[in-house]
Amino acid sequence: MKEKILIANRGEIALRIMEACKDLGIDYVVIYTKEDVESLHVRYAKEKYRICDYRDMNDLLAVADESGCTAVHPGYGFLSENFRFARRVVKRSRPLIFVGPSWEAIRDLGNKLFMKKLAKDLGIPVIPGTTEPVYNEIEAELKAEELLEELASLGIQKPSLLVKAVAGGGGMGIEEVKSLEELRPTFRKIKAYAKRLFGDEGVIIEGKIPVFQHLEVQLLGSKHGEYVHFGTRNCTIQSPHKQKRIEIAPGFSSQETYSFDPNKVEKEIIDYSIKLAKAFNYDSVGTWEWLVTPDGKYYLMEVNTRIQVENEISAKISFIRNKQVNLIKEQIRVAFGEKLGYSQKDIEFKGTSIEYRLIAEDTKRGFIPLSGTITKFSWPEVPWLTMRTHVPQDKPYTIPTQFDPNLALAIVYGENFEEAKKRGLTLLDQVIIEGVTPDGKELETNLSFLKEKTEFLYKFLEA
Amino acid sequence: MKIEYEHLNVILQKFKANPYKIFKVNTIHTGYIRDFLVKEGDEVKGPSGKWLEKPGTSLFVLEREKNLKTIRAHINGWVQNLRTDLLNRFVEAEETILEIKHPLSQQEIISEILLSALYLVKAPETAKYVLSPGLAAKIEKEGLHKVKIKKGDELLIMTFMKRETPIFFEEDGVFLIYNIYFKPFQLIERGQPLIGLCPEEQLPYLEKIVSRIREEWPL
Repeated sequence: MKEKILIANRGEIALRIMEACKDLGIDYVVIYTKEDVESLHVRYAKEKYRICDYRDMNDLLAVADESGCTAVHPGYGFLSENFRFARRVVKRSRPLIFVGPSWEAIRDLGNKLFMKKLAKDLGIPVIPGTTEPVYNEIEAELKAEELLEELASLGIQKPSLLVKAVAGGGGMGIEEVKSLEELRPTFRKIKAYAKRLFGDEGVIIEGKIPVFQHLEVQLLGSKHGEYVHFGTRNCTIQSPHKQKRIEIAPGFSSQETYSFDPNKVEKEIIDYSIKLAKAFNYDSVGTWEWLVTPDGKYYLMEVNTRIQVENEISAKISFIRNKQVNLIKEQIRVAFGEKLGYSQKDIEFKGTSIEYRLIAEDTKRGFIPLSGTITKFSWPEVPWLTMRTHVPQDKPYTIPTQFDPNLALAIVYGENFEEAKKRGLTLLDQVIIEGVTPDGKELETNLSFLKEKTEFLYKFLEA
Repeated sequence: MKIEYEHLNVILQKFKANPYKIFKVNTIHTGYIRDFLVKEGDEVKGPSGKWLEKPGTSLFVLEREKNLKTIRAHINGWVQNLRTDLLNRFVEAEETILEIKHPLSQQEIISEILLSALYLVKAPETAKYVLSPGLAAKIEKEGLHKVKIKKGDELLIMTFMKRETPIFFEEDGVFLIYNIYFKPFQLIERGQPLIGLCPEEQLPYLEKIVSRIREEWPL
């Protein structure tokens, strides 16, 4: 039977999955909600269905059945890390293939606390913090006191803590606490926020690493026990709300000076990531996120059991027998049970790739997301740039308010860091994004923020 | 914000000329239309009872993932433009299946007319809204027309582009919460009214308007 994939996502990732399906000769079906009718992922799809919500499992599966799909690709966000969805996809009376890891791996690695506990058992360094959800503020205060002492003993000056919603993610539901006096009100606030937004009021408290680089390890496992990595990415440039804005691969630069051996640290975090992946028979693409301190210490933060937004910068610098990798294609191939057909020694890393997230947001007023209509969007047609976007260039596009105001991912390639950076700045000078807010004012974007922050790539930054 | 009596007459005439509102009944999700439980021209009732515990008239049956769901009327009126051609066909979400021609009630007329008389807090964005917890508790305790607000008070929390943003009252003076025009976490289009307010001293005037409408538009 010919495979057919339900693309259970929207926007640019839906477009990238469509492209991967076409390359692999696999049929696909696209879904959309009424707010997304103008998105390019809807325009370019031959077979498409309007659904009520990208998070509605029943609607997704009803469309999968109606259209004769054999597999579901969840993309990122929405249901991509929902183990109940992954379990339902494979266990229903008409089972489908889930293009992602096993539901058990999603459940266990996606639970930040469980993952932390397991990583600790395997001797993998994790950020100091609670390993159980905290619900009671007296208990929270006691834990916070212990943690502040532990951070001080690690030599961290003026230690502070992060109070996070267990069910949060993507920078949502996180607040910093600088003294014990601030703990209780912050704890109450996050608990109420978590209950309101996620229906789970569990809170975790972690030590804040004050100066760091945010590194990611890109892994791929198959159903045949094969594991390879596609190097590291550096995602240190984020908004104040801890949302990524610029990513660069590889994670360390050969042109930077470090007080530690970056090759050794990179090898160790890759080895530890693979060790944890093997413990779960992890059989898909996945990202292991690490914090690295200026003295070369590193801590595992979390595991993302899905394709990552920024996957393509790893793909741009990874070559298998001189052919550039496409990680979404690899993810689909392994989901259908194929062997990798190569091993780590066949993967060669060349060049540097930077991803810029082009977003309608007011960077001068707390990075508030902006709604409005894009009236002009253009970029230079150059071979070193790949623009991933769902925003049409030939007609005005109103940004739906139900989702993040992400407009595009601009992926730049260079032979080395200097070239990639220079090209990145050229792109930011030449890209044109014009639009109006609902009040008729000029629509702001984060282009000037991206330009300014390009200078800080590969630098250790204060959190 | 005041309505002149002459203007009120014009508005009332307009409603008398066409005292109906058309409500589209759309599919709430995908699925197969398995049965129609009404015919063109049938009268249907919305939910009723003290707590709206009695469901509205059954309209049609939608099947998804082997679950049958009966879609019911949310409002009184008569069925029109029934899409019987969709029987046993797979439909997308938001597909219009029928319309209900709804006769406006006295309370609805009052509510509509007061939109011109009240100071309205409108949705700044197409987003989901909820009353701020403090204000919601006050309204629950004291009831509408009694809770006062002033500049700087937190009115609402807006969930917009995955972020929560508090909305504060920015006008000078003391106002009473007169009407709430939305349900919590319902998606509200930009510019639609969320809360109707009236200055404390104008409450008697509003009550007068309401009495006048009641006289003109009996139950």
